[in-house]
Amino acid sequence: MKEILRLEHIQKYYGNQGNITKAINDISFSISEGEFAGIMGASGSGKTTLLNCISTIDTVSAGHIYLDGGDVTEIKEKELARFRRENLGFIFQDFNLLDTLTISENIALALTIHHVPAHEIEGKVAEMAGTLNITDILDKYPYQVSGGQKQRCACARAMINKPKLLLADEPTGALDSHSSQMLLSTMQSINKQLGATILMVTHDAFSASYANRILFLRDGMIFTEILKGGDSRKAFFEKILDVLTMLGGGQSDVR
Amino acid sequence: MYAKLIFRNAKRSAKDYLVYIVTMTICVMLFYGFLSITSKYYNPDVGTEYEFTLVSDGLKMAICAVTLLLLFLIRYVNNYMLRRKQKEFAIQSVMGMEQKTVAWIFFAETFLMGAVSILIGIFLGVFCSQFITGMLLSAYGKDYKLSWTLFPDTVSLTICFFAISLLAVGLFNVRTIRKIKIIDMLYADKQNEPNIRKSRYMPVISVLYAIILLLAAVTGISQMYYYSDPRFPIPVHIMFWGNIIAPAVSFLLSVVWCVAHKKWSFNRYVLAAAVLSLANIGFAASVPVIQKKYMLSSGAGTLNKYLMFLLVYVIFWICCTIYLASNLLSEWKEESPEHKYRGTNLFFFGQIISKLHTTSKTMTLICLTFVLAVFLFVAAPALTGWASGYLEVRSLYDVQICTRYNDVYKTEDLPKDNYELITSFLDEKNIAVAYDCTFNLYLPNQEDFHKRMKWDFPVVAISLSDYNALRKMLGYEPISLNEGEFTTQWQTIATEEERSEFLLNHTVLSTDMGTLSLAENAYHLEAIGETVYNSYTDVIYIFPDSICGDLLAVMRDRYVRTETAIPYNEAIHLENAFVQKYPETPDNGNGVQYYIRTSTQQINSTIAGNFILQATFVYSAVVLMVICLTILSLQQLLDAAHYKYRFGVLRKLGVDRHETEHLILKQLAVWFGLPIAAAAFVSIIVAAYFFETISEEISAYIGVGALLTQVGIMICILVILLTCYFISTWILFQKSVTE
Repeated sequence: MKEILRLEHIQKYYGNQGNITKAINDISFSISEGEFAGIMGASGSGKTTLLNCISTIDTVSAGHIYLDGGDVTEIKEKELARFRRENLGFIFQDFNLLDTLTISENIALALTIHHVPAHEIEGKVAEMAGTLNITDILDKYPYQVSGGQKQRCACARAMINKPKLLLADEPTGALDSHSSQMLLSTMQSINKQLGATILMVTHDAFSASYANRILFLRDGMIFTEILKGGDSRKAFFEKILDVLTMLGGGQSDVR
Repeated sequence: MYAKLIFRNAKRSAKDYLVYIVTMTICVMLFYGFLSITSKYYNPDVGTEYEFTLVSDGLKMAICAVTLLLLFLIRYVNNYMLRRKQKEFAIQSVMGMEQKTVAWIFFAETFLMGAVSILIGIFLGVFCSQFITGMLLSAYGKDYKLSWTLFPDTVSLTICFFAISLLAVGLFNVRTIRKIKIIDMLYADKQNEPNIRKSRYMPVISVLYAIILLLAAVTGISQMYYYSDPRFPIPVHIMFWGNIIAPAVSFLLSVVWCVAHKKWSFNRYVLAAAVLSLANIGFAASVPVIQKKYMLSSGAGTLNKYLMFLLVYVIFWICCTIYLASNLLSEWKEESPEHKYRGTNLFFFGQIISKLHTTSKTMTLICLTFVLAVFLFVAAPALTGWASGYLEVRSLYDVQICTRYNDVYKTEDLPKDNYELITSFLDEKNIAVAYDCTFNLYLPNQEDFHKRMKWDFPVVAISLSDYNALRKMLGYEPISLNEGEFTTQWQTIATEEERSEFLLNHTVLSTDMGTLSLAENAYHLEAIGETVYNSYTDVIYIFPDSICGDLLAVMRDRYVRTETAIPYNEAIHLENAFVQKYPETPDNGNGVQYYIRTSTQQINSTIAGNFILQATFVYSAVVLMVICLTILSLQQLLDAAHYKYRFGVLRKLGVDRHETEHLILKQLAVWFGLPIAAAAFVSIIVAAYFFETISEEISAYIGVGALLTQVGIMICILVILLTCYFISTWILFQKSVTE
C-alpha cells in the first residue's frame, strides 16, 4: 500500500522559557492509503494537538509531516487554506455545520469553495447523500435534524471533495450510542467502499474498535500501537481495553 | 467583592459596547448643548428689539420630546446585553449567587457605564453649547463671543433625564433577569431567533392597512359626492376617481386573499399589495398638488387626511419591501444555481437571508427612521430659507395695517377709517415717522364685489399716486402712466408663465370708468409687501388717479415707516391696542377684517421660529440618524459570536483570510446598504415631492441654487456620518470575527 501520511520526530511545545509544556514529544509514524487509523489516549495526552498539527491548524515546534510526499510544515501561511481545501476533510465533535444553510447547502458549500462547476454540484450532493443515507433530510436545516444525521451530513461534507485524508476529532463525542454506531458504520463503509483514508481521534474504546489500527498516546509520546489484523471487532475491542488498562492503570483513564 | 465584580464587568463591557457608550455620549452632548440655551442663566446679548423667551420655551419642549426617542435606543442595547450575558448570569447563579444579586450586579454595571457616558457627554456638551450659541447669535445678526459656563439647571436636567431613563430601563432588566429560569439562561445562545414568518407582525400590519384603505375609499367617495363637478378638467376627475378606485381595489385584494388564502401564499399577497400601494401613493400625493393647481375647495382637514393616508401608504410600502427582500433573495437564489454555487455565495446568502428573516421588523423601523431623518435634514434649509425669504418680502414697513372685505356683503360697510390710533401711539412713544401712507384699493368693476369664489376673486387696483408713494417709501423710482393706460404690480411668488398668460389676456381692461389699455411698461416686480394684493391673487392694477375716485374702494390700508425700530414691548402694545379697536375676526358687525403687522414682531417671531425649527430639525435628524446607525452596527457587532463560529467553519473548510475579509465587507455592505438604499429611494421621492409642492416659494424666496447648496451640505453631513459608522463597524467586526 502507498504511504499517504508520514510524521517524523514531531514535537510541539507550549509556554515560554522556564515553563515549557511538551504537548507532543517526538512522535513518528506513518499511515498508508485506505487505512482507518485511530489515536487514543487520556485527556492531555496530546491527541488533539497532534491532529491540529497534521491538519495545519497548528504548527509544529520541530519535525516534519509529509502528506502524499509533500512537507506540510513547509507550506506558506497563504497557501495553507488551499492546501486544506484540496487535501483534507474534517469531522468535528460539534459537527460545525452552518445553521443558516440547509443540509444539502452545507454539503454543497464544500464544493463551491472548491470551485466545482455549478451544474455538477447538485448531482454530486445527491450521490453523496445517497451513500450516507441522508437523502430525505437534504432540504432541512441543521436544527431540524438529529445529532446523528448532522454528523453524517458533516461526514458527507468532508468526503465530497474526495480528500486524501479524512481527519475526525471525537466524531461520536456528542452522539448517543445508537447514532454513534450508525456513524461509525458509515465511516467504516466509506473507508471500505470509497477507499478513504481516515485518521480518527477518540477517547472511546468502542469507537476505536471500528478502526484497523490504533496508536496509543501517553504524555505526548506513542505508548504502543495495535493492529486489528484478522480479529473480529469484539476481539479487537477487548484488546483495546487491555491496552487502556495497562496504559492508565485501570478503566479510570477511559471516560 | 461585588463592587470589584461590577467594576471589572463594566470595564470589560465598555470594550464590548463601545458603540453604545459613544452613542449615549453623543446624545447627552447634543441634549445638553441644545438645552443649555434654554437655561435661565443663559443670557445672550440679542438686543432690545428681540425677545428671547420665545426661543427658550419652544425649544425646551421640542428637545425633550425628541430625546424620548433615546429611551428606545437605551432599551434596545440593554436587551441585547441581557441576551448576550445570560450564560454568564447562569454560571453565577449555578455557583450559588442569588438571582436577585445577579440582577442587581448587572443593573449596577449598566448604570455605571451610563453614568460615565453622562459625565463625558456633559463635558462635550459645553463645547456643543458654544457652537449653538454661535448659531443663535448669527441668526440674530450679532457678534459671537466665547463664554465657558456650566449651567446648573441644565446639568441637573440632563442628569435627571438620563439617570431616570437608565433607572427605568435598568429596573425593567432586573425584573426580567429575576424571572428567567437558570436552564433557559444556560441555553440562551443555543436558541434559534424567533422566526418572523411565524410572528404576527406582517398580518397585523396588513389588517391595519386594510382598515385605512377602507377609510381612504370612503373619504374618496364622500369627496367625490360633495366636491366633484362635471365641469372640472380631466386631471381633477382622475384624482377623484383614483382616490376611490385604488384604495378600493387594494381593500378588495385583502378581502379576496382572506377568502382564498389557501390557494395563494401570503407572500404573493404582500407583493401584490406593495405594488398597489404605489398606485395609492401616487393618487394620494396628487391631492395637494391638484387642489393647489386648480384651486379646488374641499372639506376642512381633507388635506391633512390625505397626507396621513400618504404616510400610511409609504410606511406600508417600506414594510412590504423589507419583508419581501429576504423572500425574493431566497427565490432568486433557488432559481439561479449559477449564482448560488459560485464561490462562497452560498454562505453569503445564508448569512443575509437568515438575518433578514429575523430582523425585518427592526429593519423596517430603521428604514422609516432614516427617511424621517433625511427629510428633517433636507426640509430644514428649505423651510427656514422660505421663512427668512418671506420675511424680507412681507416686513417691508414698520407698521402695516390692511383690511379684507371677504365677509362684507354691503358696500356701505366697507372700511373708510384713517387709523389715527397709530399716529397718536407713535407720538406718545416719541417714535418719529419717516413715511406714512394711507390708501385705498379699488375694484375695477363694481359688479365683481360679490365674486367670492377662490378662483374668481377679482384683482384690485391702486391709484398711481398711492403706488408711487409706496415706491418712495421703499426707495424705488416712481413710475409714470398716461391717461387711458394701466400697468400691473406682481407678487414675488407669481411665476413668469402666470404673468405672461395674464398679460396676454388683459391687454385691454374695461372698468366702470371706461376702457384702459395696457401700458408699454406692462409690469413691475419690486416687492412692495404682500398685503396690497387681494385674497387669492398675485397681482394688482395701477390706474391713473383720475379714474380711481369714482371706483368702488373695497380695502383701506395704511403703511408706516419709522426712523428707528419699534422696541419689542412697544410693538406688542401697539398691536394689542389696535386689535381692541379693530378686531381681526369679522364679528364686529360689518364683516371687515382688520390686520396689523409690525416688522419688529414679524422679524422676532420669524427669527425665533426659524431658530427653533432649524435647531429642532437638525437635533432630531442627528439623534435619529445616530440611533439608526448605532442599531445597525450593534446588530452586527453583537452577533459577532455567532459569526465567529460561522467564519471559523468556513476557515476550516479551506477558505483563506482574504476571501473571508471580502465576505465580511460584502455582508456589512448589504446590511447597511439595504435599509439605506430603501430609505434613500423613499427619501428622494419624498423630498422631490416636498420641493415640488413648495417650488414656487423656493424660487421666490430662496433660489434653487442656494437651496441645492444647503441640501448638498446636509447630504454631505449624512454621508460622512454614515461612512464613519460603516468603517468603525467594519473594523470592529473584522477584529472580533478573525481574532
